[in-house]
Amino acid sequence: MTTLLDINDLCIGFSAYGQHRRVLHNVSMYVDQGERVSLIGQSGSGKTVTMRTIIGTLPMPPGRIEQGSIQYDGQSLLDLNPQARNRLKGTGISIVLQDPMLSFNPVLTIGRQMDDVVRYSDIRLGQSRSKAERQLHLIETLRKVRLEEGKRVLDSYPIMLSGGMRQRVLIAMALLNKPRLLIADEPGTALDVTTQDDILALLNTLVAEEGLSLLLITHNLGVVRKMADRVYVMERGRIVEEGSRDAIFDAPQHPYTRKLMDAVPPLYGEKVRTVTHDSTKPVVEIKGVTKDFETRSGLLNRTTGRFRAVSNVALTVDQGDIFGVAGESGSGKTTLAKLILGLMQPTRGQIMLEGRDVATFAGTRDFRKMIQIVYQNPGSSLNPRRAVGDQLAVPLTFTGEDKHTIPGRVSGLLDLVELPKSYASMYPHELSGGQKQRVAIARALSVNPRILVLDEPTSALDVLVQATVVDLLHRLRREFDLTYIFISHDLSLMRNFCNRVAVMLRGEVVEAGPVTQIFDEPQHAYTRALLSAIPVISDEEDAQKPKVSKEERAEVLATNTALEG
Amino acid sequence: MIVYLCRRAATLFLVLLGLAILIFIIARIVPGDPARIALGPLATSEQVTELRAEMGLDEPFHVQLWTYLSGLAQGDLGKSLLTSRPVMDDIVAALPATFELVLFTIVLQVSLSIPLGVLAAVYRNTWVDNLTRVISLIGVVTPGFVLAIILQLVAAHYLGFFPVTGRIDPGVGFSADVTGLLIVDGLLAGRFDVVGDAVRHLFLPSIALAAAGIGQVMRITRTAMIEVASRDFVEASRAYGIPERVVTFRYMLRVAAVAPLTILGLEFASLIGNAFIVEFVFSWPGIASYGVRTILQKDLNAVIGVVLVSGVFFVVANLMIDLLLGILDPRHRLRTRRSS
Repeated sequence: MTTLLDINDLCIGFSAYGQHRRVLHNVSMYVDQGERVSLIGQSGSGKTVTMRTIIGTLPMPPGRIEQGSIQYDGQSLLDLNPQARNRLKGTGISIVLQDPMLSFNPVLTIGRQMDDVVRYSDIRLGQSRSKAERQLHLIETLRKVRLEEGKRVLDSYPIMLSGGMRQRVLIAMALLNKPRLLIADEPGTALDVTTQDDILALLNTLVAEEGLSLLLITHNLGVVRKMADRVYVMERGRIVEEGSRDAIFDAPQHPYTRKLMDAVPPLYGEKVRTVTHDSTKPVVEIKGVTKDFETRSGLLNRTTGRFRAVSNVALTVDQGDIFGVAGESGSGKTTLAKLILGLMQPTRGQIMLEGRDVATFAGTRDFRKMIQIVYQNPGSSLNPRRAVGDQLAVPLTFTGEDKHTIPGRVSGLLDLVELPKSYASMYPHELSGGQKQRVAIARALSVNPRILVLDEPTSALDVLVQATVVDLLHRLRREFDLTYIFISHDLSLMRNFCNRVAVMLRGEVVEAGPVTQIFDEPQHAYTRALLSAIPVISDEEDAQKPKVSKEERAEVLATNTALEG
Repeated sequence: MIVYLCRRAATLFLVLLGLAILIFIIARIVPGDPARIALGPLATSEQVTELRAEMGLDEPFHVQLWTYLSGLAQGDLGKSLLTSRPVMDDIVAALPATFELVLFTIVLQVSLSIPLGVLAAVYRNTWVDNLTRVISLIGVVTPGFVLAIILQLVAAHYLGFFPVTGRIDPGVGFSADVTGLLIVDGLLAGRFDVVGDAVRHLFLPSIALAAAGIGQVMRITRTAMIEVASRDFVEASRAYGIPERVVTFRYMLRVAAVAPLTILGLEFASLIGNAFIVEFVFSWPGIASYGVRTILQKDLNAVIGVVLVSGVFFVVANLMIDLLLGILDPRHRLRTRRSS
């Protein structure tokens, strides 16, 4: 096999405000023709810098290549003149970025954006094709990613497509100029697990069909196991381990790799931690709740359509439960959380918290002291311009805490979430993601609530950090006898964190029960489809996943090639 | 789209109706008797009563309002005490001059501020960025009338590059009869000397008027461009090999233009407001000079007329900006609104 990409002893530093910091240390790696290579690492490990250096989009300055070389197909990329370098963009090496929504220009049609890619590469390569020829080429490429309605896709704006379709179009964009090396940055991680599964399968097929080499950059070990022939593990700018996929997964050598493996919540097998809890004292009773949204349009702004976000949901959460609400985007799980928190009123039905109706109870001081929420992204749920201590003091002031006791309470809260007291004077941007989420948890706990709604509290965090936050949540629950309502699309995490689970599909609860029952004997086809799509990290787990037939799958999953809007 | 236009037109009508009523009420509340002012201190109280009756000021308030609004519906704004002519005629005569000035100012603002903002963003933290920052700061902090006087003194009086006051040289001998805009009418008549002279006259007042807006919009464009530059699609476009020039102007600027355009729409209101001073300094025969004179004379009908006209300006300008944003950004058009 010939080597297509060969990175040798690459060191990259960043200079800003007179300070210099090295972010890549002597990185060496290679990708053979037709090979699928994965680069694993947490955020900040240097994966993205590596990717940008290969493509040639690393901003320099502040970036600086200090030493090393990158050979692509026998040419030294770092020594090429700018024109020759540009000629390779999209045609030699191409990329698929992580977020299919953000990777498109929102104000131009898909067709315009795809056409630009072809047109300018034609100009660079001195070819000329007519607009009609180019359009044919676009439609043909869209067919490669299994999008049949090419013409309609081309005339759409990005927001008119579903997430899965956008991801497909994005892959088509990268394939337009028939590159030899495709770099994919976390493909599909911004999508639902079933859609992600489809996308990964598609990538694998394309690599084989088109004879591509694939460099996959990800933090998700399950994805790596599905997608890679060979793996590099990166930690703080250094390659700490490399090897074939099987070698890495069966016998990880480096402690960091082992730590990463251990932090992944297992779906099946003996490592699974089952949380049990027995209580028959209901604290949250959801009685036949339906929530409709109205679509308005026309001259007089009349109601022209109705969208049912939550449909006749009945659930009971008992004292001390960790109750998981699982579902993909659009399943209504967040709407349900908002209803429980009294932020919205149900169209029909009733929600009782400790026997009191939320409809009348919400908005009172007692209500706020009973139930609180921790949001998904601590980066945006914390106020960037307020010091941590001030943010923790806000809910205390509103629930009538004495001014003089507040500083003491604030340091008590920081203690509770295992942060040093000195952090009270720090601002959110000075903290890491995990620390920010701890502050958000402390803020929710400040009024001594009995129920916490956790809306994907760890999905913005790296897997190692996720593990520590989960431990913290377990400890807090024991200490304060809390009840959690945990909203997530991450079923592996749910398996190890919750004692009861409800699965939502298009606003309805299709299945609910103890975790062991839902995971070991899933009844509904949708639950099985979800479970079977989760990328796991061992063959044993793969073997224990429930089976779902193609017909069942097609029936329960909204087809992700349908046009929206 | 048509539904949207109809709805916007209906809102426009309601806003103007509200404005008309409000300004009418304010005009009636302010102390001082218009009839007394018009007749002067020597007039007898009989004469004042007579004029009040003639002007309808002795009628109950709601009758006055109704008379006023029904007149308004027919394009009748009443008579000006200052010029003794219908206010409508005065406005029609004065409006084109202001319209030309404001339009020229907006063109100047757009064509200077947006490219300079883009330039500052592309070369950020270099001398280019610093230079535009200084220019914009000077533009924002210098009051329009100070700048007007400085320009008049330096560029017109000492250097003689531009005329000091007026709209056109009396020697040119041309009257704009078709649209009232000298540049347009000059072009229509093939009189390029007229166009040149009009532009020379327009230049200084426009700069005085545009300066603050240029500084502001330039900074906003820069910030918006820098924000957009960090989005994924910019990196993706570069990686797919789309030339930098196209990435900047087609991909980034179209997304970034939303904020500066919105500000430019609001800028329209302050342009008319600032034009009061600038027109005064440059003896520009526009509606703003007319407004100043009528306010000082407490010529209520005329004041209401001027306020209504600037209201129409503002509302229409913002409607146009909204339509432009709809063209630029499909999300404005495609968004279906949901409510609970």
